[in-house]
Amino acid sequence: MADILGSFEQAVLLAILRLDDGAYGRAILNEVAARLERDIASGAVQATLERLERKGLVRSALGRGTPIRDGRARRFYTVLAEGLHELNEARTTHDTIWRGFVRPLKARG
Amino acid sequence: MPNPPAVPAALLHLLLPIEARESVSGDLLEEYREARIPALGQRRANLWYWRQVGGIWLRTYWWFVVPVILVLVVHDIFNTFRAPSGASYLDGLPPLALAPLSPLVGIGFFGLAGAYGSWRTRRWAGGFVAALGTFFVVWLFMAVWWNATLYPFAQVQQSNTYWIQAWQWSTHRAHPSSFFGFNPDTPDETFLRWIFWDNLGGLFFLGIAMLTASAVCGGIGSTIGLITTRWRSAAIHKS
Repeated sequence: MADILGSFEQAVLLAILRLDDGAYGRAILNEVAARLERDIASGAVQATLERLERKGLVRSALGRGTPIRDGRARRFYTVLAEGLHELNEARTTHDTIWRGFVRPLKARG
Repeated sequence: MPNPPAVPAALLHLLLPIEARESVSGDLLEEYREARIPALGQRRANLWYWRQVGGIWLRTYWWFVVPVILVLVVHDIFNTFRAPSGASYLDGLPPLALAPLSPLVGIGFFGLAGAYGSWRTRRWAGGFVAALGTFFVVWLFMAVWWNATLYPFAQVQQSNTYWIQAWQWSTHRAHPSSFFGFNPDTPDETFLRWIFWDNLGGLFFLGIAMLTASAVCGGIGSTIGLITTRWRSAAIHKS
């Protein structure tokens, strides 16, 4: 059985999809932090993006910089077909595991 | 526009591989100027920047730090918990079993950190920073570890022959040594006070030894990593 995407990897991939053309490092970090409702270290997102790119799930390309970052280029990410497939697989697995249960779970007795 | 502190900004450039250098440093700079300075003010924004760079370093090189810490902690545990006769439980083990606990293992990991760092960043200084950073994190951990275990370990040590003899020898010597004229050992010194100073001295000398080892081995490792990277690039260009 292939490895299922971790929850943080899923959060990063979904953030890239949500941001569409605007999916660069900082924007992805802020989107993931907003969705998970907690502060996220930039290194955590960066390490995950590198790992996803090594796995062939995303592709990146350098784009134009802006004055606020002293003109330094931004790296934009796109989810590849394999990444979409992995996300769909993760969602299917999640739904299968939860099938038959009503949320929120309640203690018995 | 405000700028982040120079030291972590320079460290960041030495930590990142070449393909990520511009984009990641730019992302942090943008977040620092646009969000952190307005929300936190300069001082706390600077602290935030330091934490981000530290986090990036730790995520990249933690797997060099952990083995060195393990070697030191295991040594400390076996040094504390001895047989009633005072002998170490490690005595008599075959050399192959003792090999992973050798100080050479720790030294080797400084070299590996240097090699990996320079290979990853394609800069000699990138490897050197990796090795020195490994030393610093390990030393910091040992400072916390020795302080946290001082009292509980002392309860065990003060009833062991080996440690009682060491304490008595140290505090009742005819000609006690001194360190730049300072000698904390006194004949009426309690065991706990003696072990405290022993730990402090150990931390100081361990720091010097590890700093030297990390600088030398990190430098050698960085050179090897850089040569390996250039060979690999040359081989790719040829093909």
